[in-house]
Amino acid sequence: MSSTTAQSGLARARRGLAPGGPGAGPSNNNPNRKSKLSAQASRTFFWLLLPSVVLLVLIHGYPLFQAGIQATHDGNLIQTGNFVGAENFAAVLSSPAFWKAAQFTLWFTIVGVFGSWLVGLGLALLLRTKIPAGGTFKVLLLLPWVVPIVVSSTAWNWLVATPDSLIPSLFRNLGLGTPLFLADPSLAAVTVMVFKVWVSFPFMMMMISAALASVDTTVYEAASMDGATRFQQFSQITLPLIARSTYISWILMTIFCVNDFPTIYLLTGGGPVDATTSLVVLAYRTVFQDFATGPGVAIAFLMTLTLVVVSVLLYRQIRKSSVE
Amino acid sequence: MPTKPSIASSAFSRRGFLGFAAAAASVPLLAACGGGSASQGGGGGGAGGTVKFWDMPWATPAYNDAAKKIAEGFSGANNSKATYQLIQWNNFYQTFSSAVASKTGPAVSTGGGFQAFQFEEQGQIAYADKVIDQLKENGQFDDFLPGVLEPFKTDKGYVAVPWQLDIRPLWYRKSLFEKAGVDVPTDWPSLLEAGKKLKDIGAVGFATGAGAGNNIGNHLMIMMMINNGGGVFTKDGELDVMNDRNVEAIEFMLELVSNGVVDPAAVSYTTDNLNAQWKDGKAAFGMLTLGVPERVGDTSGDIVVASPMAGPHGDKAALIFPNNIMMYTNTPSQEASEAFLVYYLGQLKELWKQKLMNALPVFKSITELPEFTSDPNNVKIVKEYQPIGKTFASQGTTLSADLAVLDGGQALNQFTQTILTGKTDAKSALQAFESGLKSTIKK
Repeated sequence: MSSTTAQSGLARARRGLAPGGPGAGPSNNNPNRKSKLSAQASRTFFWLLLPSVVLLVLIHGYPLFQAGIQATHDGNLIQTGNFVGAENFAAVLSSPAFWKAAQFTLWFTIVGVFGSWLVGLGLALLLRTKIPAGGTFKVLLLLPWVVPIVVSSTAWNWLVATPDSLIPSLFRNLGLGTPLFLADPSLAAVTVMVFKVWVSFPFMMMMISAALASVDTTVYEAASMDGATRFQQFSQITLPLIARSTYISWILMTIFCVNDFPTIYLLTGGGPVDATTSLVVLAYRTVFQDFATGPGVAIAFLMTLTLVVVSVLLYRQIRKSSVE
Repeated sequence: MPTKPSIASSAFSRRGFLGFAAAAASVPLLAACGGGSASQGGGGGGAGGTVKFWDMPWATPAYNDAAKKIAEGFSGANNSKATYQLIQWNNFYQTFSSAVASKTGPAVSTGGGFQAFQFEEQGQIAYADKVIDQLKENGQFDDFLPGVLEPFKTDKGYVAVPWQLDIRPLWYRKSLFEKAGVDVPTDWPSLLEAGKKLKDIGAVGFATGAGAGNNIGNHLMIMMMINNGGGVFTKDGELDVMNDRNVEAIEFMLELVSNGVVDPAAVSYTTDNLNAQWKDGKAAFGMLTLGVPERVGDTSGDIVVASPMAGPHGDKAALIFPNNIMMYTNTPSQEASEAFLVYYLGQLKELWKQKLMNALPVFKSITELPEFTSDPNNVKIVKEYQPIGKTFASQGTTLSADLAVLDGGQALNQFTQTILTGKTDAKSALQAFESGLKSTIKK
C-alpha cells in the first residue's frame, strides 16, 4: 500500500466512512455527483442528528435556561421572584462561605484525584504481576466503587462516628487518644477526603490497568537490556505510555470530585461547622435549606464555569501527550 | 520526535470533548435547578368534583394505607369524592411548587410545617375559616387541645388546620440515674450536676446530635432558648436573637459542653448514632421526639419521659411543631375541599386507634382513647408538655413563612454545630446566627 493510499484510508477511517461508501472510488472524480452526494449525506446526517439535538435541548438546554432565570432572580423554591441581574453572583462571590467551600472543594478534588490515582496506579502495577488469585483480588478491589455510596457511607459512619466506634477504639487501645473523626473539623475534612479516595481508587485502577494492558512488554525487555533500572522503566516508559489514560482519568475524576454530593453529604452533611462543605453541598443547602434559589444556582453556574476551564486545560494536555 | 495525532485522538475532537465536558459539568447546574417554576398561581384540582388529597409519609407505610382508606371513604355533596396521593419528603417543596404552578397540584394536603404560610404568600391558599365554622357546628372545635389553633390564625383568616403535634419532650433512662445515684434533673443547675455524675459512670448527661440529616440538636438550641423565656422572634414576629435570655441559655449550653455533659462527638451524630446511644444504654437524658422506646427498640420501661425542666428564671416551655392540613385555591370545588377537610379531621382518631401515629393528636377526645392512654409516656406528654408548648415563633403565637428558613436553614445548623464543638462564646455565636438569619429571611 502506498503512503498516499494509507493516508487516504486513515482519513476515511477518521471520518467513519467505509471503503465503498460516499466519496470512495473513481465515481468521485465527477464534481457534480460529489456535491449531490455530499448534500444527500448532509441531509441524512441532519435527520439522524435531529432527535439527539432535540433531546439534548430538552434535557440540558431547558434546565440551563431555567437555571439562568433563577440565577438572575431573587426567588425561592415556590416563586421565581424579581429580576436582580448579577446581584446573586456578586453576593456569592463576596460571601466568605463560598470561598471557604471553594477552598475545601479544591483540596477535596486534589486529594481525590491524585490520591485515588496513586492508589489505583500502585494496585494496577501490583495486579499486573503474576500473583495468585489476581482476578479475585481485582474483583474485590472493585467493591468500594461498586457498593452504593449510601451503604459505604453508613459503614464508614459506624467505623468512625462515635468515640466507641471501631477505629477510635483502636486508636485508644494503642494509646493514641480518642480521635473524633467526624466531630473535629480538621479530622472530618481529612476523613471525607480519605473516604473519597477509598471510593474512587477502583475506577483509577481499572483505567490504568486497561492502559497498562496495551503496553507492549518487549519495550521493557529492550529497556532492561539497555540497562534501565526499574524506576527508570517506570518513569520513562510506563508513565509516558499511560499518559493519555492518566489525563482522561484525571479529567473524569476532577468532574466526579467537584460534583460529588453524596460522599460528603451522607458522611458529614457538610459539617461540622462547614468544615466539609464543598461548593455542590453549599449550592444544595442554599437552594433547599435556605430556599434561596438565586444564589444557589449562581454557585452552580460558577462551578460549571470552573469545571469547563479545568477540563479544557487538561484536554490540551491530552492532545499534547498524544502529539508527543 | 513529534508524530501525527493518532486516529483515536483525532476522533476525540476538541469540539466533541467540549460538548462532553460541558454536559458533565452542567450536572451541578441541573441539580441545583430546583423549583421556583413560576410566580403564577394555582394548583390543580381533580376533575368532576374529585378532591385531590396529597399526604406525606408521616409514619410507617401502614399509616399511609390507613390514611388512604380514610380519604377514599369521603363522599360529599354532589357526589364529590377524594383521591389520595403519597408525596415523598425528598424535594417535596419542588413537587408541590411545580404542581401548584402548573395547576396539577392538590386541592387539600398535609406537608411541611410552614408550607401553608409559604403558599399563602403566593395567594395559593384557601383560608379555612368556613371549616372552622363547620367544626364549631359539629362540636369538634371545642375538642381541640388548648392553643393548637392559634398559630394558624392570621389577619386574613385560618391559613391551615392542625391535625397532629410533633413535640420534643425530655426523656431519661432510669437505670443510669440509679447507677449514678442522682435524681432526674428538674432545672438547669440539677442538669449540670447530674450530667457530671453521669459522665463519671460513662453515660451522656444531655444526649443530642447535629450530624448529617439530624435536626435534634437544632431543635435543642431553640428549646433551651424558649425554656429560658427567650427565643428567636418577638411577639410581633421580629428577629430577636441577641436577647439576654438567649445569651444565658447558650452560655449554659456551652457550660454543659465544656463539662462533657454533652458528648464531644455529638456535633457529628446522625439520627442513627443518637438512637444507638439510647439503645446501648449510653444516653441518660435528652430531648427527642415521641415514641423513643419503640424507636430505639427498648420497651422495657427503662426509657421514660421526664417532667419539663425549669429555666433559671422559672420558665418552662417545650418545642412543638403543629403539623397541619391546608387547602389550595385551585380546587374543583371549595365546598368539596372544605367538606373533605371536615370529614378527614373527624376520622383522625382511627389513626391513633390503630397506633399508627408517632405524634400527639390535636383533639382531646383522641388523647383519651385507651389506645393512646395505654402508654403512660403519652399521658405525661399531653399533661405536662402540650400546655407549655411553644413553636419556632417563640414569643409570638402565629407561624409564618420565615420559620421555614429557620427550621431547616444553614444558619441554625451552623450555630448548633458551633455550640456543640464548644469553640466559641455565646454572644459571638448568637451574632453569627442572627446575621445568617437576616441574610436568608430577607429573601
